[in-house]
Amino acid sequence: MPLENHEKARFLLHRSLVEGISLEDRHWLDAHVGQCAECGRYADLSARVVRALDWFALELDPAAALRVENVVRSRAEGMRSAEARAKSLWIGTAVAIFLTFTGSAVTWRPLAWLASQWNLPSRVWQIVFVAFWLLPSLLLALLPLFRRRLLGEDSDSNGQTV
Amino acid sequence: MVAVVTAFSRLAEPESQCIARALRRRDSEFIGRMVSRYHYRLLRYLVYWTSRREQAEDLVQETWLRVLEHAGQYNGRLRFEPWLFSIARNLAIDHLRKQQTATARHRMCREDEAGLNLPAPDFESPFLAAARSEDAKRIAAALGALEPIYREALLLRFQEELSLAEIAQVAGAPISTVSSRIHRGLSMLQASLGGDADAA
Repeated sequence: MPLENHEKARFLLHRSLVEGISLEDRHWLDAHVGQCAECGRYADLSARVVRALDWFALELDPAAALRVENVVRSRAEGMRSAEARAKSLWIGTAVAIFLTFTGSAVTWRPLAWLASQWNLPSRVWQIVFVAFWLLPSLLLALLPLFRRRLLGEDSDSNGQTV
Repeated sequence: MVAVVTAFSRLAEPESQCIARALRRRDSEFIGRMVSRYHYRLLRYLVYWTSRREQAEDLVQETWLRVLEHAGQYNGRLRFEPWLFSIARNLAIDHLRKQQTATARHRMCREDEAGLNLPAPDFESPFLAAARSEDAKRIAAALGALEPIYREALLLRFQEELSLAEIAQVAGAPISTVSSRIHRGLSMLQASLGGDADAA
């Protein structure tokens, strides 16, 4: 029997275990293994190796498994509540910013009227408006987002910065 | 009625998408069940990587915490297992790299993990402890001497029954590389089993 046939048989044997082979190759391989004792032994050996890999069974420690489960569960719960807090914070901030600008728009006209009554130059009252109305409102709206950083607190236990 | 429709649509939903949704929602009940369900397979995979049971157990927990942190990256379009194993793999490699300086008993890992020194298995190899047959005991000795990348490929193919494409996804290597790792790993194990059998 030509040497190439044995090499081909071994190649196909491995290939059949790893990724599968065509029906035609399967027929050829079965026929060859049936005739060739050496390749038959090789096929048995391959099958034994795969079976032996299947016979590895680790002993599970139920307490360790439960411990991991509890840690992961509690982390998931922590992350969920942190994310819920972060979500409310962002919504609150968005509402506060919206109210800041809406309130500013509403206040603008009465202030302009008051400034004209007091003969104030428009640039002066506009600077006063931005410095004492708009900026403080914006800072107050954004303050909760930076609360932790301002207070020098680290991110919370689950790694989420709220 | 809406509840019935929702329940029905969930039944029809592929499992991977259920998992992705549960992870995004931080559904602790569901996640707890997943931890329990995948515990053995993850532990076995990490034992194959680290050769050490205790380290593998620590890494199982770290893997799940990493899964929670990166939950948004899993979209449920692909199976969950390759994603889970790839996270475990990265952690195992990081862990082994950190260990490089701490251990004198290590070997140089070849191929694409060049430069990664991996520890030889403990005297009481977890593979030997897990062997349930004479052949498995012989294979256990050979597995201990095998590079982890070959052990990993063999495990993922023959125990986890992942496809070559999925193994490639876990290993971050081309399919051809994965295929050759499995071939080489099998050949090395065959040599050990064949040699022992011949000696016997």
